Amino acid sequence: MSTSPLVPLLISLKVAFWATLAVLPPGIVIGLGLARRSFPGKSVVETLVYLPLVLPPTAVGYLLLRMLAKDGALDASRLGFDPDLLFTWKGATLASAIMALPLVARTARIAFEQVDPRLEAISRTLGSGRVRTFVDVTLPLARRGLLAAGVIGFSRAVGEFGATVIVAGNIPGRTQTLALAIFSDIQTGRDQDALLLVGITTALAFVAVWSAEWLTRRAQGAP
Amino acid sequence: MSSMRSMSSMGSMDVTRDMGGTSPDDVSLLVDVTVPLDRFELRVTWKTTARASGVFGHSGAGKTTLLETLAGLRRDARGLIRVNGVAWLDSSRGVFMPPERRGVGYVPQDALLFPHRDVMGNLLAGRRRAASGPGRGPDPGRVLEVLELGELRDRGVESLSGGEKQRVALGRALCSGPGLLLLDEPFAGLDQPLRRRILPYLVRVRDEFGLPSLYVSHDATELRTLTSDVLVLSAGRVIATGSPEKVFMEASVLPMARLEGFDNVLRGRVIGCDEATALLEIEPGLVVRVPGRGLAGASEAVIATRAEDLILATQQPSGLSAQNILAGVIREIREPGASEGAEGPVLAMVGIGARGLIMVVAITRQAWRQLCLAPGVDVHIIFKTQACRILAP
Repeated sequence: MSTSPLVPLLISLKVAFWATLAVLPPGIVIGLGLARRSFPGKSVVETLVYLPLVLPPTAVGYLLLRMLAKDGALDASRLGFDPDLLFTWKGATLASAIMALPLVARTARIAFEQVDPRLEAISRTLGSGRVRTFVDVTLPLARRGLLAAGVIGFSRAVGEFGATVIVAGNIPGRTQTLALAIFSDIQTGRDQDALLLVGITTALAFVAVWSAEWLTRRAQGAP
Repeated sequence: MSSMRSMSSMGSMDVTRDMGGTSPDDVSLLVDVTVPLDRFELRVTWKTTARASGVFGHSGAGKTTLLETLAGLRRDARGLIRVNGVAWLDSSRGVFMPPERRGVGYVPQDALLFPHRDVMGNLLAGRRRAASGPGRGPDPGRVLEVLELGELRDRGVESLSGGEKQRVALGRALCSGPGLLLLDEPFAGLDQPLRRRILPYLVRVRDEFGLPSLYVSHDATELRTLTSDVLVLSAGRVIATGSPEKVFMEASVLPMARLEGFDNVLRGRVIGCDEATALLEIEPGLVVRVPGRGLAGASEAVIATRAEDLILATQQPSGLSAQNILAGVIREIREPGASEGAEGPVLAMVGIGARGLIMVVAITRQAWRQLCLAPGVDVHIIFKTQACRILAP
């Protein structure tokens, strides 16, 4: 065992935390748009958002890699600054966030769809503008569903492998998350280490899924 | 405004005599709108200056849509809405005032309370506007008191009864300091005893806070109790407008109003009270004896008596226990409409008093023939004190 199992755990937690933070705003905005608005091309947007759910993660990772590589859309020379994403934990975060976006947007959409739009209408008649109404009525009523969206995004980020390994590599102590560390341990025949990491991952996943289920049930009104 | 008031009070009966406080503020509502609906289009052209006006019609006639249009919740409405001279909607000039700037107190049919706030939290939901406005918003503590919600102030709204929810929704609208109250079927979904309990609250709110109000209802009695100008909608079209006393007598409206039995609504001055009954002067020389419960100390009252509970006599009756015998003249006989079939009662429209007040008496075809009732025939309307219900106060 080259490193302590705590190192990949901490990297996983760091990557998943920031990925969740990064994915929530766009996920909430997309979820709100899909729940409340109808616009031309809505089904195309829907399909694009859900695409990472069905594409092999390696395909998404490869597309990201191409964009970040020299002359790609997100190349440092083109952006004017170096986002420092290739083979860093930030790259792993970006990859995880993109892979989590469909699930987060979907869960947020359901959360917003469960808010009665007539309650928002009443809030408007009581003198609150759109933004005020969103903050005072929509967000509080959707809060449990949105929390669940966050937990689901976090879980997805913890489990991310394919896109991460392509964008961030598998560098122990820097980009090697739990999922990547398990893969390396199995490849090199360190079965005991792999098993320990699987145990840690399972415990983490259990807590995440359980709290997501609990929050979703609460959001649907059951005690 | 003052000339209109005196004109209409000289007309039919004391339509504009309010139950207490009146405010000198002018109210003018001008509506000329078209709103697409599923099955038809709502087209309303209406102008009213009544402080309490009503929209009557069967369910599905477009009443709620009209209210939502006024509240600014229908972006697809086209046309013109002017309230006290301010354009809320003028689609020819691209004017659409958003709902938050219209200053209405909208009380929807199913209350729609905010489930994440307690009773007080709901009442305060519109406080920001009331505080920033010209100080018109009533004190929430006073609203709690008038609506008898004090004991519920910290309760969650899910546990409230239907009547309590309606009162909280009304209180929430009042606390936001609105310039116009919009009430959608404030009694819908409430059983009869509960309706009788909510009505006094509405009368009290109208008098205490003096707000211009628009009531939507399918109950003619409610509108006759609360309002002085009524618009009748049928399948998205206006079929009548005017004072409730006039509108509900019209041949096209009366059959709609009498689905659950037609109430004769009488308002008048309380001129005497004993332990069990009270005397109500409808107009000079026209006095009825009504149940006295709740009328001690009241100066005015509104009562209802069902057309089916009245008896007609062609001669002055004597030796009756019934306390009310009113002399009148038959103005019109109406046979049951096609929708009611031949079994429906014949309606005798009887003019009483000197001000053209009409009471409706439901009689059988046999009685009509035996008594040879026809326009111009002198009759007496007989009814028991117990056949009168107190609607207000």
